[in-house]
Amino acid sequence: MDKTYNSVINALIFASDEPLPAADIVKAIKGIDGEYIQIHVEDVNQCVEEINNFYDENQVLFKIIKVANGFLYATRPEVAKYVGFLSSEKSKRRLSQAALETLAIIAYKQPLTKPELETIRGVNSDYILNSLLEKQLITITGRAETIGRPLLYNTTDEFLKYFGLNKISDLPKPREIDEIMQDEDFIEQKKRIMMNLIEEKIEDEMNSGGDDGSTAE
Amino acid sequence: MYKIKLDQFEGPLDLLLFFIKRDELNIYDIPISKITKEFLEYVNLIKMLDLEVAGDFILMASTLMHIKVRMLLPPDVDEKGEEIDPRGELVQALLEYKRYKEMSEELAFFETSQRKLNFRSNYSEDPAEAPPEYEVLLKNVSIFDLAKAFKKALEGVKQPVVHEVIKISISIDEQIEYILKLLDENKRIHFLTLVHPMRERIRIVITFIALLELVKMQRIGIQESDNFNDFVLIKLNDGQNI
Repeated sequence: MDKTYNSVINALIFASDEPLPAADIVKAIKGIDGEYIQIHVEDVNQCVEEINNFYDENQVLFKIIKVANGFLYATRPEVAKYVGFLSSEKSKRRLSQAALETLAIIAYKQPLTKPELETIRGVNSDYILNSLLEKQLITITGRAETIGRPLLYNTTDEFLKYFGLNKISDLPKPREIDEIMQDEDFIEQKKRIMMNLIEEKIEDEMNSGGDDGSTAE
Repeated sequence: MYKIKLDQFEGPLDLLLFFIKRDELNIYDIPISKITKEFLEYVNLIKMLDLEVAGDFILMASTLMHIKVRMLLPPDVDEKGEEIDPRGELVQALLEYKRYKEMSEELAFFETSQRKLNFRSNYSEDPAEAPPEYEVLLKNVSIFDLAKAFKKALEGVKQPVVHEVIKISISIDEQIEYILKLLDENKRIHFLTLVHPMRERIRIVITFIALLELVKMQRIGIQESDNFNDFVLIKLNDGQNI
């Protein structure tokens, strides 16, 4: 691949609001300069790596990340405080336990229907499904062939983006039931503690940053 | 150092898992009767608050009670001739739920690290105010926090402890007269019948002393009763049985 395309690739990713798949970049370059141009998806991956290396070496506080099977510019965690200061309330709030639980079940069992989801959760899930749909973390992909033809739900690219995943298979595997039993709750316990610590830290950061949403009009 | 967080239950399964974990119960051998009782206490609280979610909890409560009843009956047998544990289905549901609950914690980890990255479109797409519909997704106080807090508050209201001192005017002489009077009316009195109507401990003690005094004075006699924990008082005349 001609190295002059490095900056073209960079510009394309920079200009995109949404994760930009490598295939689209290839398509754009070939569409303008002709089908004969020697450029492949691997070249784009390689190019992004070089750009990121350059940012790393020069301690630039943003870089290209790969989420939802595409490339996207993102600021680094080090400046999250400052960037977060200007973004609105919505992006500051975390998902509730009910939302996370529902997303986890859908992510692993998709496509799945509301009755299937409710059987696992043991609670009515109308409201949470509607909210997740509205937030575009899940979507309706069709209807099951079972009685009543219930709607089928899947996770979206927005879901991948929200959790920083490139593809759904990047999720860790849920533990098998036998494993859970052998575990004696030790790992779970540890995780909970860690989570709490992290949450507290974030909250502290928010508070010490002097911004708790009141200035985020 | 120690931070107490109000627990938040996403549903009946979550609540059951909480009980199992808190009491370190064996999930394959759940003490149904104990857990049903605790569960019902919680359900009553939710009912009191008139929550919509109560339906799911009441359903679980009836499932628990159904299992409890089935545990008392001779067990059903499957095609292989093995006994079916009535708790089996519940255990499977709990484990399945636990699997995904763990995964939701995984997701929370991803969320935490991902939230530190900000994308370019972050500002323009964000509405100035989150629409209220989002509220349910956001990490807020859940209705169970409220329910728990409410319960705590109710428990916190302690009845002021009042120590009341009542003077019980009673003397041995009085009781001696009382016993003699009763013995005039009935020839035999069981001791337990004598003290039965007495409410205060001290009155019983004084009565007992009074009757010992009467025995010493040989005014009354004591006989064994058919009931080994009791005895019979009989009236004596100058030490003689009438």
